[in-house]
This record gives sequence, structure tokens and C-alpha cells, in this order.
Amino acid sequence: MTPELTALALAGILQVVQYGLMAVPANLELGVAKTAGPRDPDRLGKPLVEQVSPRTGRLFRALQNHFEGLILFTLAVVVITLSEKAGPFTAACAWTYLGARILYVPAYWLGLAPWRSLVWAVGFLATLAILVAALL
Amino acid sequence: MLADELSLLLVYGLVVAVVLALKTTGMLAQFDMGYLLSARDEPRELPRMIARLDRALWNSVTALALVTPPILALAHRGQSSEASVLAAQVFLVMRLVYFPAYLFGVRGLRTAVWLGGFAATLVLYFLAL
Repeated sequence: MTPELTALALAGILQVVQYGLMAVPANLELGVAKTAGPRDPDRLGKPLVEQVSPRTGRLFRALQNHFEGLILFTLAVVVITLSEKAGPFTAACAWTYLGARILYVPAYWLGLAPWRSLVWAVGFLATLAILVAALL
Repeated sequence: MLADELSLLLVYGLVVAVVLALKTTGMLAQFDMGYLLSARDEPRELPRMIARLDRALWNSVTALALVTPPILALAHRGQSSEASVLAAQVFLVMRLVYFPAYLFGVRGLRTAVWLGGFAATLVLYFLAL
């Protein structure tokens, strides 16, 4: 397995971990009756995301943000691997992406400014670099 | 270079990344830095155009997640054909038109190209199976 694919697999596991980190406090705060119900707007009052505590809300937004990041990273890794253009540079980018996305979670949770935005930008640029490397 | 499904997927991924960068740039222009860098615990309403870009991006994330598996399968098994390249080209064109159609609120067109992109995705699944 190439380093890029290993980083991709770990990024998938990170997504699962982020789900757990968000879901446990959200269920504790809102109660299973609310979270396990069909979540119809007229019964909820306002979206569940806005009913949780600020810290849990941050974990939710961090998870949502990683969906965008992960789909772009997935496609970058898949294309670079199948086109056999992977090399030390793209491997370094893949590990950078993974590191940035791991740091993103505590940075968001603790509300660290400007670090959350900075690590987001690092992860995004690392993905972009792989996409461009695949194109060249 | 746009003659194989992987390249077409790659181009679409780059376009989505560019639109994401555009949205981020737009937010820099519309909100103060303090709010943007904070954890944004108080949700603020996005200006109309940025909100449209935001919704178009979320829709693109779904489109990408759905179209990546069949393209990956076709490329990995070497099952590429004229039909599958055409389907991927149709997908790309539809999804490219989707952004301006959403941004400028072109009623009908946005829905039509969304349907076209979705149909092309289904054709790719059919060809991959």
C-alpha cells in the first residue's frame, strides 16, 4: 500500500472518530428521545446543532467540515495512485493533510484562533498540491 | 488529456476546490477577521451569494461522493470505453454549469443540469457493473 493510501485510510478512521466525539456529548446533552427520533422541524423547534452546547457544536462543525476535505482528498489520492504519479512529494502532502486534519479537531474544540483557520488552510493546500501534481 | 474518466474526475475535483477557495475569499470580504478566526459559536447568516455558493458546494460534495466509486472501479479494472468517457464528460459539463446556474439563480437550468449530472452518474454505475 502506498503512503497516500495509508494516509487516506487513517483519514477515514479520523472521520469515524470525529463522529464518535460529536455523537457522545450530543446524545448526553439532548437525550436519546430527541436524537433517535425522526427530527421533524415542528417537533425540534430549532436544528439539533443549535441546541447542543457551544463545545459540542464545534465538534459538529469540525465533522461537517471534514466531509468536504475528505471527499477532495479521496479523489486526489485515488487519481494520483491510479495514474502512478505518486512520489515522495505527494506522500509528504498526504501526511501533511492527515496531520492538519487531526490538529483541526482540538483547534476547533478549544476555539484556538487563528490556529484552526491556519491548519485548515494547510490541509486544503496539501490536497490542492496533490491534485495539481496529478494533473502535471 | 480529458479523454479518460480519471482526468475528468480530477478536473472536477480541482474546480470544487477552486469554488471552495472562492467562498472562503468571499467570506473574508464579508465578515470581520475576528469572527472568521473564532470558533463561530453564534451562527451568522451568510450573504445571499455566499450562501448559494455554500449550498452548491454541499451539493457538489454529494455528487463527488457518488461519482468517485464507479470511476474508480472503471479505471482500476481497465473497463473504460467510449460510452464511459462520454458519460464522465457529460457529468463534468453538467456539474460545471451547475455553479453559475446556482450562483445566478437561473431557475430551471440549475435543476436540469443537476438531473443531467445525476443521470450521467447512474450511467457510470451501470457501465461499471
